[in-house]
Amino acid sequence: MNEIIMTLFNGLSASSIILLTSLGLAITFGLMRVINMAHGEFIMVGAYTTYMIHNIFAAYLPSEIFDLYYILAIPAAFAITFLLGILLEKFVISKLYGREIDSLLATWGISLIFQQAARSIFGSQGVLVQSPSFLSGGLSLGSVVISYNRLFILALVGVCLFLVWFIMYRSNFGAQMRATMQNRAMAQCLGINSRKVDSITFGIGSGLAGIAGCSVALLGSVDSTLGQNYIVNSFMSVVLGGVGKLLGTFISSNIIGFSSIFVENYTSSSIAKAIVLVIVIIFLQKRPQGLFVIRSRALDE
Amino acid sequence: MKKAVKDPKNITFALIAVILVCMPLLYTAGLLKSTMVIFLGKCIAFAIVAIGLDIIWGYTGILSLGHGLYFALGAYGMGMYLKMQATGGRITDFMQVGGLTKLPAIWKPFLSLPASILMIILVPALLAGVIGYFSFKNRIKGVYFSIITQALTWAAYSLFIALSPYTNGNVGITEIQSLVGSVKGKANGGNLMVLFYAALVLLVLIYALSCFLLSTKLGKILIAIQDGENRTYFSGYCVSRYKNFVYILSAVFAAIAGAVFVNFNGSITPTQMTISYSVTMVIWVAVGGRGTLVGAVIGAFLINLCEYNLSSGSLVEIWQYVIGILFTLTVLFFKSGIVGVISEKAAALRRKKKMKEAEA
Amino acid sequence: MKKKIVKRAACTFLAAAISCVPVGCSNESESDEVKVGLLHSLTGSMAISEVSVRDAELLAIEEINAAGGVLGKQIVAVQEDGASDPSTFATKAEKLIDSDEVVTVFGCWTSASRKAVKQIFEDYDNLLWYPVQYEGMEASSNIMYMGAAPNQQIVPAIEYLIDQGYENFFLLGSDYVFPRTANMIITAQLEAAGCNVVGEEYAAMDQTEFSAIISKIEEAQPDVIINTLNGTGNVSFFKQMDERNITADDIMTMSFSIAEEEVAAIGADILQGHMVSWNYYQTTETEENTKFVEAYKAKFGEDRVTSDPAEAAYIAVYMWAAACEKAGSFDVDAVKEAAAGLSFEAPEGTVTINGENQHLAKTVRIGQISEDGLIYEIYATDAPVEPDPYLTTYQWAVDAGIQPLE
Repeated sequence: MNEIIMTLFNGLSASSIILLTSLGLAITFGLMRVINMAHGEFIMVGAYTTYMIHNIFAAYLPSEIFDLYYILAIPAAFAITFLLGILLEKFVISKLYGREIDSLLATWGISLIFQQAARSIFGSQGVLVQSPSFLSGGLSLGSVVISYNRLFILALVGVCLFLVWFIMYRSNFGAQMRATMQNRAMAQCLGINSRKVDSITFGIGSGLAGIAGCSVALLGSVDSTLGQNYIVNSFMSVVLGGVGKLLGTFISSNIIGFSSIFVENYTSSSIAKAIVLVIVIIFLQKRPQGLFVIRSRALDE
Repeated sequence: MKKAVKDPKNITFALIAVILVCMPLLYTAGLLKSTMVIFLGKCIAFAIVAIGLDIIWGYTGILSLGHGLYFALGAYGMGMYLKMQATGGRITDFMQVGGLTKLPAIWKPFLSLPASILMIILVPALLAGVIGYFSFKNRIKGVYFSIITQALTWAAYSLFIALSPYTNGNVGITEIQSLVGSVKGKANGGNLMVLFYAALVLLVLIYALSCFLLSTKLGKILIAIQDGENRTYFSGYCVSRYKNFVYILSAVFAAIAGAVFVNFNGSITPTQMTISYSVTMVIWVAVGGRGTLVGAVIGAFLINLCEYNLSSGSLVEIWQYVIGILFTLTVLFFKSGIVGVISEKAAALRRKKKMKEAEA
Repeated sequence: MKKKIVKRAACTFLAAAISCVPVGCSNESESDEVKVGLLHSLTGSMAISEVSVRDAELLAIEEINAAGGVLGKQIVAVQEDGASDPSTFATKAEKLIDSDEVVTVFGCWTSASRKAVKQIFEDYDNLLWYPVQYEGMEASSNIMYMGAAPNQQIVPAIEYLIDQGYENFFLLGSDYVFPRTANMIITAQLEAAGCNVVGEEYAAMDQTEFSAIISKIEEAQPDVIINTLNGTGNVSFFKQMDERNITADDIMTMSFSIAEEEVAAIGADILQGHMVSWNYYQTTETEENTKFVEAYKAKFGEDRVTSDPAEAAYIAVYMWAAACEKAGSFDVDAVKEAAAGLSFEAPEGTVTINGENQHLAKTVRIGQISEDGLIYEIYATDAPVEPDPYLTTYQWAVDAGIQPLE
């Protein structure tokens, strides 16, 4: 029984991390049909932001309020990656309109620059980010230990999902965003400033990556290659989920997260990874556009 | 035929080939180090993959982010044959560590050269065929197909690591000589020449074959697919079959390239199978100029020579910036790559000249 | 016209690229400099570990140059980036030896990169100084192994654990050659001693999610985890062990790839109490070490720590210099001959090059991680242990057939 609970919690937790790291990508992909190869590096920037705030608190502020650094790190990471995202959109992505594959390659170049920048600024060694005391350790329920940090991530994902849902489906800006996603030309005709929509949407997507960076900073190594470890799963989850539907990304993250944990229970992690990827590939053969498709009458889009 | 000879792109390629022919001669004359010849040999392999990528991406519009997989499969095939040559057909140290007591069945074909060559071509062709058949039949295109190839590559990478008793995990196949024996050092200069020219001949053949294929009706259909896939369907062509054909073709080119590479490199590891390596290959084509074939060749040589020279000495700390900026700027401002930019400039000049003539 | 321009420009590009190639201007003249190669990953996933090793080598070169150089010549370091790709290591090793004509190379970290360049060093008859502990089963005459062989790190650590009364062992490693070989050796050793291996797991090199593995460990209920994870995997693993409230008091770990640098990245509060096995710690009490730690911190910053691989890289340069002085030449064969039996007062104590297998005789130290982020010795061998890369002097290893082929 305990094992089942533990496996379920592990799966839920793995899924939540995949969802958090792919949420931003899903939004930018939905809008621009661009796979941002530098998405992983935005996660890295978020993690390094957490590290910097961590260090500022450790060095200059009284130790009683040290734990609060993490609360501050989340909005800070969002803000910094949001700005970086807007800059990237302005100077690179916007120049590559209608050239989706080109923007994929250009963002790849950007990701190389980001990684080297991280090495130049912070050194190649991993840096230390200590968990705030309220997130370290776990809640013991009998023999099952539920980590506070993982619970926090679950909550964080919930909040992010809600906010993104609210923005997309309940705000004026979201309506503009969806209109632009579904038919850019028509949206422009109706007076929507699609440039502004693109810019802010890309910013939000990048900002979400920054928040993901905050979370993974507590789970693993913070170094210049951090982003690379998360992108494959994010790409898969976005593509599996389909364009422009939050629900799709939500379900696909869970499929990938749970199946990795289940398969890994019976085999080694490398094999598990290969099996999950093959399952996703086969699944995509059945539904090439992902789980959810926004219907379109356009020819050769 | 005459037209092909006059095509400036083909002339450029011929020029590159001639330069390459001179390299081993420079080496024998003592003007060039043997490592440079070996490195150029590796670049020839890279140019072969790049040609394959250019056919599917530049001409047909299919972006594969997983050609590292086919490259590595070809390289592993050749590496396994060479390893068997080195051990005399006995089991290797990593098989022993993995608990195997006799040569696994998957290694058996690599005891003979013809069977190895067959495997080098057939395995990637089959894999590409299966993936291509289903993906193209199901109309998976654009970024979706790219991500599928990426996932496939990642899955294969994980498998190669996990099956270390058979593949030696991330160490890969090491301590092997080339097909013609050792090519390192002064004593083996003759071997190096033979190997280098053999690789060069392969490159020329593959370039010629690609040019020929693209000059036929097939080439037109491929471009039609890139410009409007559904319209091509409606014109009565079975697009998926054409796509699958070029995808397999380019996978086989990549595998051949891998087999050439391992001869020069003396080892093959799963690193060649990673996503980043595969993306780098696409970048060669992008920088050189897509849809021109010769651009792919130029890109492969240029980027690799740049990396080779930049990632050392005083530049070690900053070379990634240079490469990253180069990639981004090329894609941003020179969509058609080096060759494209040059031919556009040339066309503009010619127009100007004509206008002047008309005025006069 | 068009073709002319295409041709001309394409030629210029190619010519420019090729002309950056150092065309064979061999430096035969007697200069007062001698070139050595430094070949490490400065980019990619291995840069995390290798940069500090490169730094230690640069420090040693600087010190030797300040003291007058080797054979009256100043050492010039030629750096190459292996980019965490063994094939790039192979290409760059050739470049260093053949194009740059270095007299020797200090480099590599992973076994994959070492094995990729081994053949090259043998073919060109140059010498590689390899600074990291490794899985053994190798003794190339063109490599000087400055790190521990299994019998100078793994085997004594397991012996120590058996002596301490640990019985149920869980083997956890990254999925590559060092952990797999190490675990093969450990399994044979434990079986001979009558102890149990209750589980064996390998994590992918870039794995970030360890919850499934930790669950498997909890189920297996080992007394001790033998940890051969490498690089970022260690950070994720220990952070996620901490999440499950598992400390050294619950399940002890013995790690072979966690040095001071890793402790700094994982956090001492998480790691305190856990055991590691190396030949050197920053806290090792020798006069040489005090000097080394001081110099290292002065050059690279107060917050940097020294570690076993960094120390091994540092002494590699010194031992090469000493061998050259003894041989009176930079010639590879002369240096190798002079190096055999050469002793050196290293920060870790006296080390001696074994002439037969070109490994070092080293003192083995079991250490425990303390809350100040440093590692303190809790056990050390009385004298340096002779290297035995093939474990031929251990009966259980011979019985288990852990021998090289050939």
